[in-house]
Amino acid sequence: MQERALPQERRALEPMKKNTLSIDKGYGVFLIPGIIAFFLIIIFPFMINLGISFTTWNGIGKPIWVGLKNFQTLINDSVFWLSFKNDLILLIAMTIIPTIVGLLLATFLFDYITSNFGQSVSSFFRAGFYLPQIIPGAVAAIVWEWILQPDWGVVNYVLKAVGLSSWTHDWFGDPSTALLAVMVVLVWVQLGYPVVIFMAALQRIEPEILEAASIDGASWLQKFYYITIHLIRPEILVVVLTTSIYTLKIFGQVYVLTRGGPGNVTNVPSYYAYKNFFETQQVGYGSAISLAMAAIIIVLTVVFINMQSRQEREESV
Amino acid sequence: MTTKIFKLFSIVLAAAMFLGMTACGTAAPRVLNLWYYEPPDGALGKAWAASQTQFLATHPGVTIHFELHTFEQMQATAQMFLNSSSAPDVIEINKGAANAGTFAKEGLLTDMTAEATKRGWDKILAPSIQATCLYDPKTGIQGSGNLYGVTDYGEFVMLYYNQDMFDKAGIKVPTTADDLYAAADAFVAKGITPFATAGAEYPAQQIFYMLALSKANRQFVTNYQLLKGIDFHGPEFTYGATEMATWVQKGYISKDAVNMKAQDMQNAFQAGTNPMMMGGSWLFGGLQSAKLPFKWNVELWPGNAISLGSGGNLWAIPSGSKNKDLAYDFIDITLSKPIQTLMGNDGGLPINADTTQITDPQVQQFNKLFAQLVASDGIGYYPDWPVAGYYQDLVSATQELMNGTKTPSQFLDEIAAPYNAALPK
Repeated sequence: MQERALPQERRALEPMKKNTLSIDKGYGVFLIPGIIAFFLIIIFPFMINLGISFTTWNGIGKPIWVGLKNFQTLINDSVFWLSFKNDLILLIAMTIIPTIVGLLLATFLFDYITSNFGQSVSSFFRAGFYLPQIIPGAVAAIVWEWILQPDWGVVNYVLKAVGLSSWTHDWFGDPSTALLAVMVVLVWVQLGYPVVIFMAALQRIEPEILEAASIDGASWLQKFYYITIHLIRPEILVVVLTTSIYTLKIFGQVYVLTRGGPGNVTNVPSYYAYKNFFETQQVGYGSAISLAMAAIIIVLTVVFINMQSRQEREESV
Repeated sequence: MTTKIFKLFSIVLAAAMFLGMTACGTAAPRVLNLWYYEPPDGALGKAWAASQTQFLATHPGVTIHFELHTFEQMQATAQMFLNSSSAPDVIEINKGAANAGTFAKEGLLTDMTAEATKRGWDKILAPSIQATCLYDPKTGIQGSGNLYGVTDYGEFVMLYYNQDMFDKAGIKVPTTADDLYAAADAFVAKGITPFATAGAEYPAQQIFYMLALSKANRQFVTNYQLLKGIDFHGPEFTYGATEMATWVQKGYISKDAVNMKAQDMQNAFQAGTNPMMMGGSWLFGGLQSAKLPFKWNVELWPGNAISLGSGGNLWAIPSGSKNKDLAYDFIDITLSKPIQTLMGNDGGLPINADTTQITDPQVQQFNKLFAQLVASDGIGYYPDWPVAGYYQDLVSATQELMNGTKTPSQFLDEIAAPYNAALPK
């Protein structure tokens, strides 16, 4: 039998219902600028890019419709797949290493440095680790180019000075070390971001929980593994998601450091799309590469957000 | 009544005339919109600044709205603004089929053929210099067709050498190919890398092309540049690629130069790290003003009848220009003898200078070499010209050749693919 509200209750509910609706409508107005901007900045260019990706076009004149030809070319394009593989390898430098090392560093600063040397020393180091994030990417890349320059770069200079001349190297020019050298630069750039996020997250953990675990005889490692990591998992997911997206669209550092070279050893999809779009005037193909990358980033984002929501649901149960 | 009407009519007419005259007096002055990308302190920048001054002096009531851009901006975005309503009246654009040729083909540039003949520019521009100005309006291929651009300077690639290092080592400055190899071997024996170069930008691919040109004739250059098709495994390119790989193996050029930029090459030469450099005329002014602590000079590339070189980048008039008459006048001034002589004295390579007025002996030598190359039909253009975007393909492939990750044969296959794909069907 269906439950029915009593007449008085119904009367009491009616104004509330009206109120809720009017509040919703009111908020809707605030969404308009965002929606307009979203259409102008995201949807409109995205649709144009989609259209161009089905054409062959040099950027001037009329694009010629070629259907799926650009995507067929893309599937068989070894340089694109190499650039995509490089992107996945760069995930190690931009997501995996910074997340793990960032977590350890943040814990070290929070647990050890803060308690033994005070908040200001800890803040100093936190700011220091974050500094590469503030320096413009191109400037940082140029400085690293100098540091690793084979003839007069400081790294080779120091190696020679300590008698390790045989270790000196053309770091960005040798195909066996070029990607590795780019990765070192990217780890340096990226590390500060997780350190800052994780230090903020660590402040969120109730000290009573850790104290209770200590009383129960838990070691530092056990507390770190079973309590800290568990409690700051939302932040870890955010860091992994944002750094992964940043990796997939990386352009600036590669452009300045190596321009994808030597050969295509350090090429990445964003640079490859740029090269086709602007330098070789294959605008249609460049658009197809961008579209493929956008699709991959969207899929990845949806997967991560689903994982995060699932975890939040599990925790709330 | 009639008198009244007549008076009223006279007043109205007088008022209309007065207003009309006032309107004429306050009409907005004409503006010449001018864009170029040569740095103000270089020979071209100085010459063109002087051209602006002269233009203003000879065109009262006209002002110039000038914007300084960069080469990279033009390379990447020229097609976008040329295709828009914000294109200027006169603009410096990059030469070659990939740039000027594409714009001409798409109808974005004014055909200047008739005006050039009228003003006598066709007599100032030597045939090998004019080749960079002519484009086929249907295909965009360079070398013949209509005059879509006008250059007022030339450029070529030559041997820069450090006289002090040669003197100290007791090695003769090379003038022939044999001398060049003997000098390179002698420097290698002393533990000095003879040539500065850079693999991440144009210098290394220019070595390959220069070596290939040492075995090439005019027909080969024409066939290659005009996309008539060539055998990439023929004697010219095979020699260029094989020899380039040998140069790395023998230590004539350092493997460490693979990721270096053109500026690194120039820095290495300026620092006295390498006694020789294959460099373009665009480096000459910079080296002169750097007041280097050693004696240096230039020679045509030893052993080559044909060297890399061409007319310079181009003055063009976008199709949408509303002040084409002013644009023609400005270009005319840049080609005039006084401006050209000024360019020569500042270390540029003018094409219409009064050479007797060039005072610096080093600049005289520099201009003499270029005149010699032009007179002997020795201008061989650049390897990346035939195909849009070929420059980056050549950079990648040359880096792999230098690193040894591609054999000369594989290198030639790699650079043949985009070239053959661009051949007219």
